[in-house]
Amino acid sequence: MRRRDFILGSAAALGLAGCNRTAAPPRSPALVKVTRAAAYSQDLYDTMRRVLAAHKLNVRGRRVVLKPNLVEFEPESTINTHPMLVHATLEAFRELGASVAIAEGPGHRRCTLDLADAAGYFQTIPGFEDLFTDLNLDEVSRVRLPHPISRLSSLYLPRTILGSDLLVSMPKMKTHHWAGATLSMKNLFGIVPGGVYGWPKNVLHWAGIHQSIADLHSLFPNHFAIVDGIVGMDGNGPIQGRPKPVGVIVSGQNPVAVDATCCRIMQIEPSRVAYLTLAGGLEGIAEKNIQQIGEKPDSVATRFELIMEMRELRRERA
Amino acid sequence: MEIDNGALENIRAAQNPDGGWPYHKGGSWTEPTVYALLAHQAARTTAPGSAGALAWLGAAQQNDGGWTPRPPVDQSTWVTALAAMLPPETIGAQRHARAVEWLLHESGMESSPLFRLSSLLRDGKLPEGPDVSGWPWYPGTAAWATPTCLGILALKKCYWRRPSSRLRERIEKAQAFLLSRRCADGGWNHGSARSLGYNSDSYPETTGQALLALAGTDAGKLQDSFRLAQRFLREQRSSGGAAWLRLGLLAHQQTPAGAPLFSMPCRTVPDTALTIMAAAAEQGYNVFLE
Repeated sequence: MRRRDFILGSAAALGLAGCNRTAAPPRSPALVKVTRAAAYSQDLYDTMRRVLAAHKLNVRGRRVVLKPNLVEFEPESTINTHPMLVHATLEAFRELGASVAIAEGPGHRRCTLDLADAAGYFQTIPGFEDLFTDLNLDEVSRVRLPHPISRLSSLYLPRTILGSDLLVSMPKMKTHHWAGATLSMKNLFGIVPGGVYGWPKNVLHWAGIHQSIADLHSLFPNHFAIVDGIVGMDGNGPIQGRPKPVGVIVSGQNPVAVDATCCRIMQIEPSRVAYLTLAGGLEGIAEKNIQQIGEKPDSVATRFELIMEMRELRRERA
Repeated sequence: MEIDNGALENIRAAQNPDGGWPYHKGGSWTEPTVYALLAHQAARTTAPGSAGALAWLGAAQQNDGGWTPRPPVDQSTWVTALAAMLPPETIGAQRHARAVEWLLHESGMESSPLFRLSSLLRDGKLPEGPDVSGWPWYPGTAAWATPTCLGILALKKCYWRRPSSRLRERIEKAQAFLLSRRCADGGWNHGSARSLGYNSDSYPETTGQALLALAGTDAGKLQDSFRLAQRFLREQRSSGGAAWLRLGLLAHQQTPAGAPLFSMPCRTVPDTALTIMAAAAEQGYNVFLE
């Protein structure tokens, strides 16, 4: 191992362990909150305050990085995490005493700031450009994967992420034509730097998409997840799908449990989503091991249409 | 040529003390460093800090002849094509020759004999003919549009200096790759025209790059691509995309439509540099094709 490599232990010293240290320790069963939110409106600011309060996060004096999902230019579509949800979350973390930044590394388009501008981030979030880091072009350090499931043995990762105390994954609730569903764990593909690996980040595909998702999860097992399910996307997601109004925000400190809950809301069987079982095992996604607060998933469940190749993921409701 | 809006000055001001350029701010990377130098070449001037830039680039070359995107990354990648676009007399003839060799030995995994054999055994057919081969972003992965376009442009420059059948054949295989990956709308996505039965949508940047890399090929087959590129230009929302589209259209003697250059914000060093290069191309000097 070379001195300049970040092995997991040293990375943990910088920030990975910080995720554990600064937020509430993982509970058993995992706590997941499903919150109704009918629209992208000013109400979100109060909603996000209540969401964070419910999770009892202790982030005072800590560096929090919000990682939304930015994919395409279309502000009228539902392809990107809505900027108002990101801003409401930023304000809520600030009120808890955190230092908050926003960071993303899109996997398809290279002009990240232009993309963020078109998606409404500049207009919605005051001082956005000063708060934002393009993770595709950030300083990088090599992190070795302690027990890789994929073919990867290490990854170069952005120092903005490695140096954070709490990474907050803020995906859109979407179907995904390769992975089944793209949620808080798949959203971590966006921290892999395009400046090193390219656009798309094809090393992750060749190493195995599900396996790579599980490997990234192993580096950030307690990242906080806030899933934008106010209006999601179904059909041929994550790019060419259709808007799917669900009216929920799903949050929690156990990403496997959050994503499994989102799958149940989308009427996708989580045990059939390979990366969830790779990362959490059947126990990690079992309903009995997830403590739901707020709305019950079944009460907000909405059938997300799946493309033909993904129909075996369908969860039939009892 | 005179760039009179301070764009070159903006590039010069962004140079790092180590000689390289950042994308926006922070550490130096190979891509913006090469584009900064090419922008000066397009403006027919020399960067005041070019010696430092070339020294930085020299240190970023790997033992295998390729270039790393930036230290501490120790893997040669697609940016090798960018470094190989610099004149050998500036980057060093030996360095340049080793970069070209790296490019000639690199290709997307889907064109490797092992992958082709496994595809044949699995699917009962070969994925593509042996005369189709692009470049990947990162070794060990599939070929994509942007690295293939840049590889073509780099090898073309070599070919014009010293023609060889080896270079010509590699260029032709890469151009065949691009043509095989053209989307139904006439443009280029990042490299997959269809996915799971659905047509992929094209992007402005890759469409402009592909047109540039296909300069000199049969324009009659590219009419749909020209129309799409002009439409993208009229709708354009990124200066980098607009610059690539202009460079691509001008390479085929097509007059670009849309808003004038420098009317959109240039948010990165490559955006500014590419806009300067597009401005030079409008005045008849396309630095990628010289």
